[in-house]
Amino acid sequence: MKKSKLQILTNGIIKENPVLVLVLGTCPTLAISTQAINGIGMGACVLVVLTCSNIIISALKKIIPDTVRIPCYITVIATFVTIVQLVLKAYAPALDKALGVYIPLIVVNCIILGRAEAFANKNSVVDSALDGIGMGLGYTLTATVMACIRELIGSGTLFGATITANLFSPFTILIMAPGGFFVFGCLIALVNKLTKGKVKEKRVNKCLTCPGAEFCNEVQEGGCDK
Amino acid sequence: MSSGKHLKGVHVNHSKNTAGMPIIPMPVPERVYIPMSMHIGAPCQPVVAKGDHVKVGQLIGDCDKPVSAPIHSSVSGDVESIEQFMTQNGRVDTNIVIKTDGKQEIAETVVPPVINSREDFIKAVRASGLVGLGGASFPMSIKYNTKPGQVDTLILNGAECEPYITVDHAAMLAYAQDMVDGMRTIMKWLDIPRGIIGIESNKPDAIAKFNEILAGSTDISVCTLRQVYPQGAERVIIYECTGRHLIAGKLPADVGCIVSNVTSVLKLQQFLTTGMPLTTKFLTVDGNIVAKPQNVEVPIGTMICDLIEHCGGLTGEVKKILLGGPMMGRAIPRDDFAILKSNNAVLCFDEKFAAQRKETACINCGRCVAGCPMNLMPARLSRAFKDKDIDALREYNVMSCMDCGCCAYSCPARKQLNFEIKQAKTLVMEDDKKKKAKAEAAAAKEAAKAAEAEAAKAAAEAKEGGNK
Amino acid sequence: MADKHTNLIVSAAPHVCNPTDTATIMRDVVIALIPALAVSTYVFGIRAILMTVICAAACVFFEWASRKIMHRENTIGDWSAIVTGVILAFNLPVGMPFWMAIIGCFVAIVVVKQIFGGLGQNFANPAIVGRIALFIGFATPMTTWSVTKNMSQAIINNAGVDAVTGATPLAMWNAGAELPSNLEMFLGTINGSLGEVSALALLIGGIYLVVRKVISPAIPCAFIGTVAVLSLIMGFDPIFQVCAGGVMLGAIFMATDYVTSPITTSGRIIFGIGCGIITMLIRAYASYPEGVSFAILLMNILTPHIDSITRSKLNGVEKKGAKK
Repeated sequence: MKKSKLQILTNGIIKENPVLVLVLGTCPTLAISTQAINGIGMGACVLVVLTCSNIIISALKKIIPDTVRIPCYITVIATFVTIVQLVLKAYAPALDKALGVYIPLIVVNCIILGRAEAFANKNSVVDSALDGIGMGLGYTLTATVMACIRELIGSGTLFGATITANLFSPFTILIMAPGGFFVFGCLIALVNKLTKGKVKEKRVNKCLTCPGAEFCNEVQEGGCDK
Repeated sequence: MSSGKHLKGVHVNHSKNTAGMPIIPMPVPERVYIPMSMHIGAPCQPVVAKGDHVKVGQLIGDCDKPVSAPIHSSVSGDVESIEQFMTQNGRVDTNIVIKTDGKQEIAETVVPPVINSREDFIKAVRASGLVGLGGASFPMSIKYNTKPGQVDTLILNGAECEPYITVDHAAMLAYAQDMVDGMRTIMKWLDIPRGIIGIESNKPDAIAKFNEILAGSTDISVCTLRQVYPQGAERVIIYECTGRHLIAGKLPADVGCIVSNVTSVLKLQQFLTTGMPLTTKFLTVDGNIVAKPQNVEVPIGTMICDLIEHCGGLTGEVKKILLGGPMMGRAIPRDDFAILKSNNAVLCFDEKFAAQRKETACINCGRCVAGCPMNLMPARLSRAFKDKDIDALREYNVMSCMDCGCCAYSCPARKQLNFEIKQAKTLVMEDDKKKKAKAEAAAAKEAAKAAEAEAAKAAAEAKEGGNK
Repeated sequence: MADKHTNLIVSAAPHVCNPTDTATIMRDVVIALIPALAVSTYVFGIRAILMTVICAAACVFFEWASRKIMHRENTIGDWSAIVTGVILAFNLPVGMPFWMAIIGCFVAIVVVKQIFGGLGQNFANPAIVGRIALFIGFATPMTTWSVTKNMSQAIINNAGVDAVTGATPLAMWNAGAELPSNLEMFLGTINGSLGEVSALALLIGGIYLVVRKVISPAIPCAFIGTVAVLSLIMGFDPIFQVCAGGVMLGAIFMATDYVTSPITTSGRIIFGIGCGIITMLIRAYASYPEGVSFAILLMNILTPHIDSITRSKLNGVEKKGAKK
């Protein structure tokens, strides 16, 4: 089934959210989502790298030999990551410092490699660009939401501005690793609820576990009400 | 007790309300319904026809398969019909319905058997129609047909560890001498040097009685068992009396033991002296709504409702009827089933007792592990069963469960552990069967292939030979 | 023929059961905790009771609410939430703000217990995780100990803290300050978390539980024994180490939590020894003054593995695999 352009774009935001549904690139997400601004910054970096690498890989998909495609992807991705990192260093040194090693690590981020492998090398350049933007937005959204929750509860601030920190002591465990996993889990649960709704209950033949089954005439008929 | 160690178990409330009551014979009912399958093994075929007149002790059903026990009429009267209907085991079975004439004439065939050899003895045991009366209903002739020298201990099971039931106790008090004589006869013909009578310590009068009879004799001793359920289970009583472990899948004879219920030996002795086969059964009738709880001697084939009527009827609305004790007994849906050879109690309870207990989550407390006489881990088995994890079930030795119910009794979450394990055992057995069939199919395929190759080779050789 | 009775209840054997059920077990645990609560009320004042009641109520509420939201059967009748609440309260400093304690209850009941499937499914003791979450999340209030009524001025001065707060014996020990006598430590007229101060009261509760067959003595004995032996080896005062901090409370009430401790006796002994070793290692070498809760949490996580290596052996079968 061919998807419309809009579907490709919106796919990554909730339905196939790279972090919460595909569960890709969780390591940097958990690590950087301690402050909302980091979430947005990281998201933006991923968005740019993902879109650009998707376009290039999609354009080169006929040229890249299948056997060495992964090194080729990495080269393409690394190029864009280097560009992004240099730009950050020049214009937003504070953010660069906060994100630290996670910017260069985008090179091996599963989301980007995953989309290159799963989408860009099979689809047209335009579609790949839209997919990159959609996935990038999904990532940004997730990282930002996680970071907002963790920052607000864990340090009582939002985007660096003091919100509740003066009112009561913040619950600092949320900006530590366990809190990250907890928020991550909650968000996955929320997205599952939004996309899949209620889980169907498994139907079991109650006769199999009924001690009275051997006296029961209804066994063959697929069970009774008891 | 040859070793200081004991198997685990649980302490249950004895509720032996009928303790000390003698066994009173019940008058024959109007009709008896005798099913043709009262033992483990092949069912019998009726040897009487509709309209035949039968007498007490007359053979009415038999089977030529080795694992079976013949069936005798428990009354005198006329065969009214031979019908198919459900028995208390939940199986549809052939039943001989006999309308009694109340005369209770003894059949001419009832004469003491002549025994000159071990083979004669085994034949006589089979002719007595006896099955394991403790509840297993395993034909006794099979149990006693051991290799000479294989068995060195005969254990008489008088533990009666189930709550409520007192009928073995009453029988021991009334017929102790016959039981000891029976033991000696068995030991003589089967060449067993040692006899042990295992009795739970809550029956001091029975222990005293046997000690009195056995004073001075060296061949038979009394072993006092602790008051821990399930002392009467075969594997437990063997361990408690001899210190030998009986592993699942083995027979008591494999560890040099034969275990017989006290009434089995008593009935055998009576058969050997009078020729009267197994036609009546000692039963405890009890429960919180039975008007006159008592121990009765009931003709086999009597309807449970007739029996309850004989015991004064019920004082409340019955919600649960158990055949056997409350730990291992079976609940039956109706009371118009006939009493079989293997029954030893009929217990009737009202709503309060029968109320189903709600199952809650396992809290891993370990009470089931602490109570399991077989040293299993019922909680793990239950989890593996829920996951349908057959490998884990095997790993945790599911087949070693003997269904004693200690785990479920002690479970604070009210989980029906032993019922789940029972189902798990079926699961494993089915899997075994499947695997066996698969292996057989594979072997057959392999054999066919080999045969084909062989044939081809032979053909080629023949061809070659021809060419030469 | 006599009257027929049909439609009787058919159920699997056994048809009788032990009167002990989950609720009575949990109730016994609550009863066993009462002496310790009495002592802490004597030591810390009425706020100790208030804290306990609030935690228990919060746990019951969270249990009820999360079951409701998840459309599961209501399970507050099994008393387990109350036990978690009381034990969590016992692990908190008495001066802790109530709203923080309630967050701890949320972590314990919702995050650790209900999200994993409710009673019996939690991988770690809810009260311990609740305490650790609070300890990490609110480090300052969790280590601010209010002064007990009869704490001597000398100790406060030695520990170098201001007049409204005191230090726990373990913190003093870590700081090398003068320690309370062993008798004080045993009776509980010392500072510390709400319920852990009196070794005597906890011991009474523990004996009650053992007598009622609610807990087996394997874990507490192994735990406390290991702590004592290791303190001797390390050159510390064993009585002080056993009575200080949460060893008694942890060994008797938290390490013995059925769900998160091994099921066989040998497994329980390994579990107790492991708890003792980790506790002493943290006390002696780590930056935290107290390590009981971390020790129990770590051993909780090891429990499935301990269980699988200490499976009970089948009777009469010597080696695994000997039987067909």
